[in-house]
Amino acid sequence: MEEIVVDLQGVWKIFGARSQEAMAAVKSEGIGKPEVLERFACVVGVQDATFQVQRGEIFCIMGLSGSGKSTLVRHINRLIEPTSGVINVLGRDISSLKEAELREVRARQIGMVFQHMALLPHRSVRDNVGYPLEIRGVPKSKRWAVSDHTLELVNLVGYEDRLPRELSGGMQQRVGIARALASDPEVLLMDEPFSALDPLIRLQLQDQFKALVAHLKKTTLFITHDLDEAIRIGHRIAIMKDGVIVQIGSPEEIVMNPADDYVREFVQGISKLKLVKAHSIVEPLSKYSGSLDGAPRADEGADLDQLIDLAVGTDLPVVITAGDKEIGIVTKPRLLRGIQGGKE
Amino acid sequence: MSVETTEVGIVAASDVEIDTEALDASIREFAETNGDYYVGAFHKIHSATGLPPNTFNIAAAVLGPLWAGARAVWGMFWGFLILEMIAWVQIGRGLWGDPGAEFVERAEKQRERAAEFIERATAAKEAGEDPTRFEKLADNITKAAEKSEAQAAALNAEGLQILLTGLGFLLLFKLAQGFYANVAYEKQYSKWRIDQKSVESGRKPKNVILAVVLLLLIAPLTIYKFTVDSPLEVLNAFPEKAISHDVFGMTNETIYTETATWLEARIDAAAQAGAGTFDSVTAGVRSVLDALTIALIGTPWPVVMVVICVVAWRSAGPRVAIFTAAALAYIALLGYWEIAMETVALVGASVLICVVIGIPLGIWFGKSMRAYRTAEPVLDLMQTLPAFVYLIPIIAFFGTGNPPGILATIIFGMPPVIRLTALGMRGVPDSIKEAAVAFGASRRQLLKDVEIPLALPSIMAGVNQTILMCLSMVVIISLIGGGGLGKVILEALQYAAKGPGLLGGFAILFCAMVIDRIVQGAFRRADQK
Repeated sequence: MEEIVVDLQGVWKIFGARSQEAMAAVKSEGIGKPEVLERFACVVGVQDATFQVQRGEIFCIMGLSGSGKSTLVRHINRLIEPTSGVINVLGRDISSLKEAELREVRARQIGMVFQHMALLPHRSVRDNVGYPLEIRGVPKSKRWAVSDHTLELVNLVGYEDRLPRELSGGMQQRVGIARALASDPEVLLMDEPFSALDPLIRLQLQDQFKALVAHLKKTTLFITHDLDEAIRIGHRIAIMKDGVIVQIGSPEEIVMNPADDYVREFVQGISKLKLVKAHSIVEPLSKYSGSLDGAPRADEGADLDQLIDLAVGTDLPVVITAGDKEIGIVTKPRLLRGIQGGKE
Repeated sequence: MSVETTEVGIVAASDVEIDTEALDASIREFAETNGDYYVGAFHKIHSATGLPPNTFNIAAAVLGPLWAGARAVWGMFWGFLILEMIAWVQIGRGLWGDPGAEFVERAEKQRERAAEFIERATAAKEAGEDPTRFEKLADNITKAAEKSEAQAAALNAEGLQILLTGLGFLLLFKLAQGFYANVAYEKQYSKWRIDQKSVESGRKPKNVILAVVLLLLIAPLTIYKFTVDSPLEVLNAFPEKAISHDVFGMTNETIYTETATWLEARIDAAAQAGAGTFDSVTAGVRSVLDALTIALIGTPWPVVMVVICVVAWRSAGPRVAIFTAAALAYIALLGYWEIAMETVALVGASVLICVVIGIPLGIWFGKSMRAYRTAEPVLDLMQTLPAFVYLIPIIAFFGTGNPPGILATIIFGMPPVIRLTALGMRGVPDSIKEAAVAFGASRRQLLKDVEIPLALPSIMAGVNQTILMCLSMVVIISLIGGGGLGKVILEALQYAAKGPGLLGGFAILFCAMVIDRIVQGAFRRADQK
């Protein structure tokens, strides 16, 4: 579980004709974005991105449009070349790969799903799913077998011989996911895969996707502009703003301790009931002077929803335990504040 | 976050008060000089509910086009300039013109001759001969002279009428300008409000000068030319010979002959220098044509006919197949079979070469914007140049006959397939290309699996266009010795042979329709896939 699959160190992307000069100036003089634009007419797409993703982890990158999240993720399969920085995928430096090696890595180790599906309209669903294998030169019989198996994983049995345009948006995106899975890659790059779908289908696909990835143990980088989606799907979330990663953390950490006002504004509307666990709002036992006899007890992993259920029936605080040990209490005011997101 | 609360009162449309201050300031800014006058005029126009203009601009009426030009209402400037010129020419003709001049001159001559005959009559009398013949002649001629004089008088009387008509027209146009000026200027103001950069405002000295210069250049010369009986010779025709002689010091030649001779020498030299290349191009084209000719004419005619009908049926259905059979029967029964097949071979060879060269070029232009931008003027030239123009260099470089004819056809027919292929290539969504690259596709695989299949409908539309253009051109190449049905038409034209010409024309029509129907049918089926 501790193996690092994707490793980004100080990745910069500066767009424009004079990006190298701009990069040098950034490194030597430490100039900021507006100066880069003014002096070199270059736009900073990604600014000093550093993070690691572990095997089997779903790492969400969340940000509004134009925040550089799509640009960032395209560095991982080198659809975009970094201006500076190191990108390691499965221990190989992606930037140093030769043309043919890079194609090999793309075809075998990194699958990608796109916002607008990007299926080939003239090919059947089966041939779309098999296309990454076809690029690798896998014979047709094998391709078809793999396609059919992968389509089974995404519940699309019976649609193999249809054309993409005959399918609904949600089904098309499942074809896109199947295509990304067909070559059994280690890493999945999901570029806002569910953004173009309607909310109900989106919820369904999020759950299906989470279960599927957990089952297949794929390392996933998942881009979204929707914090709800990031929280539902991600083990960890990176929040980007104007090309900078503002905060990286688990959904709970982000919701409870937003790094700045920008993140705080995002987090405000998020329901904390299922997200915040007892251990992050627990108070010391000494806070309560009265007797705790008959007080309800909950494990430190219980979420706010469960704590509310316990607190409703009594005037006493809820006692939080870790194993057999009592580690603290949660009073009602504390609980209410917790629902608000840790406001003091 | 605080929501700004502003009181928004809602007023019924009929109770809305017109805020004139901002509008007035804006109109003043637009008009610059005489702002107050235009504020008033535009107000009148804005509050008018009916159609007829209710303002009269005296300056515009008096100055005419000069006002319009100075105020940069150029559409009005040109329109009324032409109208006023017509009026002024009438006035000029009425005032200074001498409409009876021709007849006066004739009358004078006739009187002279009459006097001559009278002299001869007296001479004859003195000589003792019979003068009656001369007297009679003199009498007749005098009568004719009187008639001419009467006509001249009538025409001169008409001069006054012309003058009055001219004056009437002028008055009418002046009034029209006076009434129309503010309306037009208000329209210009509305445009100016939208786009202050490109719509001119005010009375700029630049525009005043331009209007004056244009008026001085156009009006006096034109009025002079139409008014005066025999204007200067220079105004009648461009004095190119005099310029050649006086300015360039040429004695016998003109600029035209000199340049033409020079060009001819250049072309001859180029043709001689590149003879090998041109010959091999011709040979290449000829081999393609020969192969097709052998296939179409060498194969027994029943086989070719059956194959064509079956192809028509398979690609476009039974109706087109029946039509094709009828068309083929017409062609064969009238004895056009072989010559029609020659036409088909010519079209086929042209289209084949167009496609083989055009599609790769189109793919290249689709991928490289820079290459396309360089090639676009050439493509435009190929399509806009009249065919007759490039037939000449083709004769010079490639001689006459079928292969040069095919080359001419290719020049005319290739642009659509190039353009539409490039268009199709550029229309392939970037997201799909990116997906293929993300899955490890090489450039060749990207082209083969993504770009060409997605651009195919557009490419096929291009091929279809090219076929039709080649068909229309293949008739014209008979002018440089091309064979086929075009030759039949050309011969019929030369001898004004109506019957053969019409029959040949129908044969070409049927050929074109059959090819067009089959190709359209095939493409429609491919589209439906």
